[in-house]
Amino acid sequence: MTNEGIGNPVLVIPCSGIGKVHGLISREATYLVTDELAPGKADTLCLALLVKGDPDAVAEVRNHACITLDGCAKACAEKNVQMAGGRVAKAIQVATCFKNHRGAQPGNASALTDDGWTITREIAASAACDVARLFAGEEVIR
Amino acid sequence: MSAEITKIGIISCSGEAIPEGTISRLATRRVLELLRPDVTVTLCLPLFLAGNEAERNFAKTHPTITIDGCEKQCARWGTEKHSGPVSSALVVTEILGTQAAGCHLSSRDLSRPTKEAVWAVAERIAAEVDSVLAKEGPRHDPTVGTTGAQCSCSNPVPFGKLTISGATVTIPGLQLIFEQCAERSIQADITGCTALLDALKVYHRILPEEEAVYRSALLAAYQDFRCRAKLT
Repeated sequence: MTNEGIGNPVLVIPCSGIGKVHGLISREATYLVTDELAPGKADTLCLALLVKGDPDAVAEVRNHACITLDGCAKACAEKNVQMAGGRVAKAIQVATCFKNHRGAQPGNASALTDDGWTITREIAASAACDVARLFAGEEVIR
Repeated sequence: MSAEITKIGIISCSGEAIPEGTISRLATRRVLELLRPDVTVTLCLPLFLAGNEAERNFAKTHPTITIDGCEKQCARWGTEKHSGPVSSALVVTEILGTQAAGCHLSSRDLSRPTKEAVWAVAERIAAEVDSVLAKEGPRHDPTVGTTGAQCSCSNPVPFGKLTISGATVTIPGLQLIFEQCAERSIQADITGCTALLDALKVYHRILPEEEAVYRSALLAAYQDFRCRAKLT
């Protein structure tokens, strides 16, 4: 039995990617959602805790709808949530969000440029809409 | 043949929920980019569960230092469970004490205390790299490249090319898209065209009027990919 549904905060989980800019975008988009766009409706947790198999983290992903933000196609966040028994309501891949930004120079794994922040805000806005729906007990299109 | 220098693996917990996780990530990047770029490599921690055999063997092929934000030591635990024993394990809260209390989660507009904390941890990591290197000594490691900071998932996405209406179109990740299609058992014939096109459209913008020509070019390239996969 889970607590998913109306009024239950949504977990937004980035991938912890450290090798390239996509991981930083996923991380910063998460903070935009949890701190600015949907405070109180969204929260995050350390993906490393799931890798560790921490019982509290496993319970968290099983009891909340999850939105995963992955930098690349390896989809570490999505896979780790699924392996922990959590439900991925929406899986977003940063790489796919670049298709409308051909030629953009988003920065690197340490810092984002203006282009990078533009893409990050777009991803965060999209994720925040999904958070609002899930928080209201609605489903989202994967 | 001269011996190549040993590359030290640095695994950061990157904990998203605590400021110390951000510090561990930024300090690791600083070591990779500025302080010890020629002797360090990294890997995303979650790849130990989500990645392939080569990625899970990371700590077996590199002397590895883990950088954890808190006493739960997820990076150390995850690395040792899934990959192998680590050479050294650092914890940000042990290095900084209460210094990280006022630090931010986001890397945007970093405060002075956060910047100072990142430098302090980065210098501690660099010192640990030197210490591990001194113990290991130079050796030839054929699994490691000669470029500086490198993560298996940060290698450039391989490009593929399609000929569309006589022009060559470069498509990042075409090989990966084909690999995913093959895993999904999408047929390399006319019945697989729509699925192939849908997969490509996720990553590459295709105008409606271009779909027909993309469809045939994509199928030809996918057939070639499947043939080469069979040969290997």
